[in-house]
Amino acid sequence: MRPAVAVVDDASLIRESLGLLMPGLDVVAAVSTVEDLVRLRPVADLVVLDLHLANLEQQPDVRQGIAAIRALTGCGYRVCVYSQEERRFVLAACIAAGACGVVSKALPTARAEQLFLEAAGGGAVVPQPVVGILEVLVRRDCITLLSDRQRQILHGRARGLSYAQVAKQLFVSESTLRGYWLDVTRALTGSLRELTPGEIEHALGLAPGDLLEFWPGDVADDRDWWRTGTSR
Amino acid sequence: MSGRSRLWRVRELPTTKAGVERAFSYFIAGVRLGTLAQMIPAVHGGVTTSPQGTAYLVCWAAAALASVAVSVATLVRRRPLGAYVSAADYSLACLLLVLAPLVLVPGERFGTWIAYQPGYALSVIITASGVRSLTLWAGGMFGIVACYAVYLGGSLDGEMTTTAIGNILTYVVYALVTRMFFGYTRRIAHDADESRARAAELARREEERRAQVMMHNGVAVMRLLTEPGTDAVRSRLLGLAEVEVQRMRSYLRGRSPDRNGEGSDVGLAALITRVCERFADLPVETLLDLGAAVRMPAGRAEAVERALESLLLNVREHARADAVVIHLDADVDAGWTLTVRDDGVGFDAVTAVPGVGLREVVVGELRRWGIGVDVESAAGAGTTVTISAGPAPAAVGAGRDTRTDAG
Repeated sequence: MRPAVAVVDDASLIRESLGLLMPGLDVVAAVSTVEDLVRLRPVADLVVLDLHLANLEQQPDVRQGIAAIRALTGCGYRVCVYSQEERRFVLAACIAAGACGVVSKALPTARAEQLFLEAAGGGAVVPQPVVGILEVLVRRDCITLLSDRQRQILHGRARGLSYAQVAKQLFVSESTLRGYWLDVTRALTGSLRELTPGEIEHALGLAPGDLLEFWPGDVADDRDWWRTGTSR
Repeated sequence: MSGRSRLWRVRELPTTKAGVERAFSYFIAGVRLGTLAQMIPAVHGGVTTSPQGTAYLVCWAAAALASVAVSVATLVRRRPLGAYVSAADYSLACLLLVLAPLVLVPGERFGTWIAYQPGYALSVIITASGVRSLTLWAGGMFGIVACYAVYLGGSLDGEMTTTAIGNILTYVVYALVTRMFFGYTRRIAHDADESRARAAELARREEERRAQVMMHNGVAVMRLLTEPGTDAVRSRLLGLAEVEVQRMRSYLRGRSPDRNGEGSDVGLAALITRVCERFADLPVETLLDLGAAVRMPAGRAEAVERALESLLLNVREHARADAVVIHLDADVDAGWTLTVRDDGVGFDAVTAVPGVGLREVVVGELRRWGIGVDVESAAGAGTTVTISAGPAPAAVGAGRDTRTDAG
């Protein structure tokens, strides 16, 4: 059965073509703003969200980025970001804000569809740069909840190894390893949400305040929070 | 110093086969002319006391002529005598021994150079042992021993028996020793020639390998430049080509990489970032935080840079990858591991013959710097290249980071 997917993207071409290009997805709604989607409230297994919605100057009240993710997760949606954003701390901030995945618009369509299906099915699609950040946080004891086996899995995945390669090294089946990886990513993204920017800056050797531009932190009104620029 | 006089300087003789044969010619001439010099003072006495003065003089002259002829011939030939002349030399020595009883009085056969024949025969045994034929050498030696027995004839009494046996043993021992000397020296020269040839071949191969290492990436870039592409791609390739041109210039100027690993330290993470900027068209993710502190000498870093560049050129040309991950990690013991993983088409690591890039620029060159390389690939499953130095990296480990331990 195809998962129901809602698309939030300011590019009409993507809104109208996503369902055609990704036949594995059942696109039940395609809107240009988060506010429209919240108003419609379609039943969807996954919301595919563009991180940077245009017309910011004309529509200053339209939620962008982290604020958009929080608004949607607040409504109970699983959110997968679909963006050309490449800055790793922005990607990590999306995960920390509650997104279950980030998919690059640069990926081939079939690969992107496969990742959306994983996200819709309850998985976490953590982009490689964020896996790298998570590995550093684990190695530097900023996140301490992983077992030795889970750390080994993270070690392999951070190096870009395929599920099959890591499974072979750990003498488990590939399907078992996928299950392990799901547990690891859930645990890590949960931990990431609980960390403060200061803790992450310290673990990564950044200067104090370096992450303030990207990281949501405790913002009273998240509608106002989005300072990462809108060029993408 | 003139060329002629240089010919006589033994210390300038080459330690080649030809040089050794020339040294033998000096040795033979020296022994033969030395023997002749010893014979000369006694010739007058010999002619006077001999019952056949004329015959004695003819025999002596034959021996003297043969000594001079052999010396001149070996010096001119620059090597010992051939088989036929050696046989004639042995024969003359035997003949002189056999005729000696006719031209000597019995009391003069021992202990005087009037009886030059045994001494002359010994010089022949020493100098003719350089002959290649074992049969000729053995035949000549036993012939002389037999003729010496004839020489002794009936004059051998109890008092001189030990001297006679000693002389016979001298012939045998000197023949064996000089035979070994000639043979062993020739073997040394042969081995030296072979070693030189092997060293030259190895040097040629090393130069060929260095040229391959230096040129490979440049050739790959040039090939890519000949293919159609966008301006952006060509612009990046031109940047890469400029780096390769500088590298080739440095090679042509004869600058060798610093094998001792000295030179100013280079940060590996910064180097990797610089290389990846030249491949901005590839979907490369660089995760370098864990190895941000890794530094290494410039020469070693250059080898890593070339290897990484070659790997990324391979990805660009062959892999058709959707994602490339470059991960740098440092361990507690100052070792480091660089992993380059692509999810492209891969290759069968068992049957595929690695190209110059992977074989020489990556594996060969890095191993020469003491850096380990492991290539894992399978058709359709991408390629993982693990480059590691220092203490062995943990396989799929869960080690703590040095930074945390340091506080």
